[in-house]
Amino acid sequence: MKHFYNLLKKEVKELLTREVIASMVFMIVFFVFMGKIIKGTKEEAKEINISILDLDSTQYLQNVLNMVSRQGIEINPIEAEDVEDAIKEAKEKNATVLLVIPSGFGAKMQEMEKAEIELYSIMKGLSIKETISSEIIKSVIRALNNSIATSFIQKAIPGKDPADILSPIHTKNFVILKERTIPGTPGVLSILITSQSIMIPLILVMVIMYTGMMIMTSMGLEKESKTLETLLSLPVRRSHIIAGKMAGSAVVGFMMTVVYMGGVRYYMSPMMESPEISIQLEEFGLSMTPLGYVLLGISIFLAILAALSVCIILGVFAQDTKSAQTMTYPIMLVAFIPFFLSMFKDIETLPLALKIIVYAIPFSHPMIASKSLIFHDYPTVLWGIGYMIIFTVITMWIAVRIFKTDKVLTAKFPIKWKRH
Amino acid sequence: MEKAIEVKNFVKEYGNFRAVNNISFEVNEGEIFGLIGPNGAGKTTTLRVISTLLQIASGSVKIFNRDVIKESASVRKLISYLPEEAGVYKNLSGKSYLDFIAGFYSTDRKGKTIMIEKGIEIAQLGKRINDKASSYSKGMARRLLVARALMVEPKLAILDEPTVGLDVVNSQEIRKIIKDFAKKGTTILLSSHNMLEVELLCDRIALINEGVIIEIGTSQELKNKYNTSNIEKVFLEAIK
Ligand SMILES: Nc1ncnc2c1ncn2[C@@H]1O[C@H](COP(=O)(O)OP(=O)(O)OP(=O)(O)O)[C@@H](O)[C@H]1O
Ligand SMILES: [Mg+2]
Repeated sequence: MKHFYNLLKKEVKELLTREVIASMVFMIVFFVFMGKIIKGTKEEAKEINISILDLDSTQYLQNVLNMVSRQGIEINPIEAEDVEDAIKEAKEKNATVLLVIPSGFGAKMQEMEKAEIELYSIMKGLSIKETISSEIIKSVIRALNNSIATSFIQKAIPGKDPADILSPIHTKNFVILKERTIPGTPGVLSILITSQSIMIPLILVMVIMYTGMMIMTSMGLEKESKTLETLLSLPVRRSHIIAGKMAGSAVVGFMMTVVYMGGVRYYMSPMMESPEISIQLEEFGLSMTPLGYVLLGISIFLAILAALSVCIILGVFAQDTKSAQTMTYPIMLVAFIPFFLSMFKDIETLPLALKIIVYAIPFSHPMIASKSLIFHDYPTVLWGIGYMIIFTVITMWIAVRIFKTDKVLTAKFPIKWKRH
Repeated sequence: MEKAIEVKNFVKEYGNFRAVNNISFEVNEGEIFGLIGPNGAGKTTTLRVISTLLQIASGSVKIFNRDVIKESASVRKLISYLPEEAGVYKNLSGKSYLDFIAGFYSTDRKGKTIMIEKGIEIAQLGKRINDKASSYSKGMARRLLVARALMVEPKLAILDEPTVGLDVVNSQEIRKIIKDFAKKGTTILLSSHNMLEVELLCDRIALINEGVIIEIGTSQELKNKYNTSNIEKVFLEAIK
């Protein structure tokens, strides 16, 4: 155990070079910076400045607008002779939109007749910010319509709830998923599906990528700086050398993943916040139990071990860090197969041949588990865990075997050799 | 007395190329034994086999009566191997490298500290011992590696060209250290291309050529046999 710790420490030190640390710091700074910008844009976009040229003496619409308007919307009446003047002034006032209400608008409303207004959106550029503003304006108009329609209905049909008349059909939504009937629309599920079938596999692919890259780098470094021979002549068990490498790479790989995923979350967080939905899902028993989380954790851990044990075998054939890193690409590609498939399809519905391939890839199992666990389908998850254990034990056994022979030192030599 | 090394009819093949062909020799405990021979003669191959790193096709190699193949784990506890082209971990300082190695040999903290101090003393890198090894010159790295190999006080030190890349002063210093270790009972097996070094340092010498040992004996014996005044001439005569 002492030897293992000694090796682990060395691996981590050797892998955490200044360049690696610098790139992690850069990643953090980058995401924080991007996150700030996006957040800023959204908040800025919420500030809407509506200039109004009201040619209607009754000021009917302005009053309604004041009623429906909410925080972040500023309303500025403009005194102008004509529309052109008004536009000029609105621009000066930095307005997002200019609303022109024609004279006689109020009178038409009194008669419950339809009337026209003019809406000039003043764009300052072609950016996300501008499109967000136009969405907000649309919602303001919707609120105006709603409010006016309600007052019409109240006048025309007193004693009825205007809301019932505006939308006389009330739907009760149910989703039937496997054996379960869940109140709600498929839309509610989509967030859960995104997080389970994209986020978890994505994280897994990232971890496999980073940890795999690290262990290959570690093997490449040993060969490149010619330290492997010394290491193998030390009184330390081959299995400890392998375990030390796997653990060291896992530590550094995890650090990189945490930095990266943390960054992405921070960057995306303003876009995906919805605590209510997760509460709703819990009510329907459609969420992970603590046992589920434990199983998912085990499953992910085993997938990483499986990846690392395959990588260390590949690493035997590496000549230096560069060739070692190139050799991680096949592993990554293999990890991407179940990732893409599970994103677009349910593994269960795949044709048999494809299904066998997916099940044979150890990395598929955490991805399958992340979905199965929502439905509390434990046997599938346990089968996956069992398979990964067998897979990892076999590959690690092969790795130890290889380290016990001189292949690990001589595999780099070309076979063609002539006696002079 | 127990033999430090017993090599009997050992053959090493890379694919179908025979790098070492049926060699036998013995090294006594406390002896400094030198392997000399032209490039590609099979010196490194022999040292790697003795260091438990390579499998052999036939024959047997025993270190203090332990078989290098069957009892490799216990052999590794007795030996310390300095490969000819060894490198250092680039992101580790010289001191942490010594610390790392000491961790495998010492059983307690105190022993480890003493070992590291010994290593620092042999390496003679001064303050630079705390710098990252990637900043060392070739000679500095070599000194660190020699220090690492000897500080653990192995029963048998296997040094493949220990002074290669070192200047005259440093070579002499290292030779003196090797001699001191031998006096204290460490057996040394080394290879070298420096005939002067071999003559100064080794108690006995084996001359190896094309995977076969062609001569073995003290430097005086060999000089007498070939009737020359130095080992260099013996070398040139013998491989003719
Ligand atoms: N991994 C290998 N695969 C194939 N052949 C090898 C391998 N290692 C060494 N050889 C060959 O074995 C022979 C002996 O090599 P070795 O390295 O033992 O020579 P050496 O005596 O140490 O030479 P030098 O003085 O140049 O260090 C050489 O012909 C070499 O090319
Ligand atoms: Mg050599």
